[in-house]
Amino acid sequence: MKKEVINIKGLEYTYPDGTIALSGIDLTVFEGESVGLIGPNGAGKTTLLLHLNGILQGKGQIKVLGLEINDSNLMFIRNRVGMVFQNPEDQLFMPTVFDNVAFGPINIGLEKCKVEDSVKKALKEVEMEESSGRYAHHLSFGEKKKIALATVLSMNLEILVLDEPSSNLDPGARRHLINSLTKLNLTKIVAGHDLEMILDTCNRVVLLNKGKIITNGEPKKILANKSLMETHGLEVPSSLL
Amino acid sequence: MHLPEIDKYAERKSIFHSWEPRIKLVSLSFLIFSIVLNSNLTIAFFFFLLVIFLVFLSNIPFSFILIHLRWVLLFCLFFFIIMPLTFPGDKIIKLNFIHISLEGIKYASLITLRAISAILLIFPMIGTMKFDTTIKTLQKLKIPNKFIQMIIFTYRYIFVFIEETRKMFIAANARGFKKRTNIYTLKIIGNLIGMLFIRSFERTENIYNCMVSRGYTGYLKILDDDSKVCRKDFFKAFFIVIVAIILTIVGGTL
Repeated sequence: MKKEVINIKGLEYTYPDGTIALSGIDLTVFEGESVGLIGPNGAGKTTLLLHLNGILQGKGQIKVLGLEINDSNLMFIRNRVGMVFQNPEDQLFMPTVFDNVAFGPINIGLEKCKVEDSVKKALKEVEMEESSGRYAHHLSFGEKKKIALATVLSMNLEILVLDEPSSNLDPGARRHLINSLTKLNLTKIVAGHDLEMILDTCNRVVLLNKGKIITNGEPKKILANKSLMETHGLEVPSSLL
Repeated sequence: MHLPEIDKYAERKSIFHSWEPRIKLVSLSFLIFSIVLNSNLTIAFFFFLLVIFLVFLSNIPFSFILIHLRWVLLFCLFFFIIMPLTFPGDKIIKLNFIHISLEGIKYASLITLRAISAILLIFPMIGTMKFDTTIKTLQKLKIPNKFIQMIIFTYRYIFVFIEETRKMFIAANARGFKKRTNIYTLKIIGNLIGMLFIRSFERTENIYNCMVSRGYTGYLKILDDDSKVCRKDFFKAFFIVIVAIILTIVGGTL
C-alpha cells in the first residue's frame, strides 16, 4: 500500500475580509502521485496550496509526511514541500541565479560545498547549468520559470507544489516544462487552467469550486465530462473532444 | 530599455577591478568620509582632481558616469541658485532686492565639489565588482543584515518596478492618454502611481510567501565567496588613506 504524504481533513479557511476561501476540504495524496488541481478563478486552488507548507494555517487537520503542521516542524516540512509560485518575479528575489537557487539549501543549513552541489544539480535538471552567474532581471520569462523550478529542486524535496506553472509560457518553454515535470520522480500537486498540461503530467485530478472539492478522480474521465466542466466554468480540453 | 546597472563594467580590468573587495570598500569609504567632512574649498578641489584621476584609473567610461551623474548635477544646481541669494557675506552683485554673496557662491561650490566627488567615487568603489560581490563584501564586513536585505531587494526589484511603470504607461497611452501640463494629466499620473503602490504591496506579500516557503526566518543568509588579500591590496589602501589624511590635515591648517 502506498504511503500517504498529504492528508487533509475538514480544512476551512476564511480571508480577513470575510471571504470564505476553503470549506470542508478532505484530500489525501499518496507518495509518487501527480495531482492536478483545477477550477475556475477564485476556486481556492492557490489558498489550498499555501496550506501545504504552512504559509496559511486554517481550521482543520493537515498532515504532511505524517506530521501535523506546527511551529516546531515547519522548517522540516518547508524543506520537504517545495512551492513554485505563479509569478517567477516573486520567486526570484535574489540578484543572481545562483543566489536564488542556493537560498533554500542555505536556510536548511547545508555546508557550502553541499549548497554548491545542490545548486549545480538543480540547474542541470532544468537545463540551465550555464546561467548560474546571470542576474535574475536578465533572464527571459521562460528562463525565469525554469529557475523558479530550480529554486525548489535544490532542496530535499519529497513533494513539489506548482501554481499555474505554464502561465505565460511560449509553446516551446511549456513543452520543456511538461517534459521536466514528467521526468521528476516526486509527488506533485499542480494547480492550473492549462488542462492539456494537467492531462500530460497528472494521474489524478481534483476539481475545486467555491472553496469545495467537487470531484476527484481520473483526469480523462473528469476532463472529458462536458457538463461537469462547463458547470464549473471550465472547458473540455481539445485533445479530448 | 535603459536599466540602472551600476556594475555594467564590472568585467573590465583595472587596478580597482583586481582590488580585494573588502579593502577597496573600506579604503574608498574612508576617502568619501574625508571628502564630505572637508570644509576647505581649495582642498575640495584637490579631492575632486584626485577622484577624477581614480575614476580614470577604474576604466569605467566617463560617458556612463555622466549619465548617472545628471540628477546629482541637477540637485547641485539648486544650491547655486539658493546659496548665493541667501548666504550672508560680501555682496558682489546687487540688483534691486537681489543680493548675490561671494560666500554663498563659495559655499555652493564647496557642496557641489564634495557631492560630485563622493558620488564619482561610488563608481570605482562598487562599479568595478559585480553587485552580488558587493553584497557578499558587506556581509563579510558585518554590515547589519536588515540593511543588506534592503539593498538586495531595492536593486532586484527596481528593474521590475521600471518594467511595471513602463507597462502601465503603455496601457494608458494605448487608451489615448497624452502627457500634458494640466490637472487631468496630474490626476492620471497620480492614479498610476497609486496603482503602482498597490501592486508593490501585493508583490511584497507574494515575495514574503516565497521566501518563507524556502525557510526564511527573518535573517538573509548569503553564501560567501573566497577572496584572498595580497600585499598589492594593502598598498592601494595605504595610498588612498595617506592621501586622504594629508589632504584633511592640510585642509585643517589652511
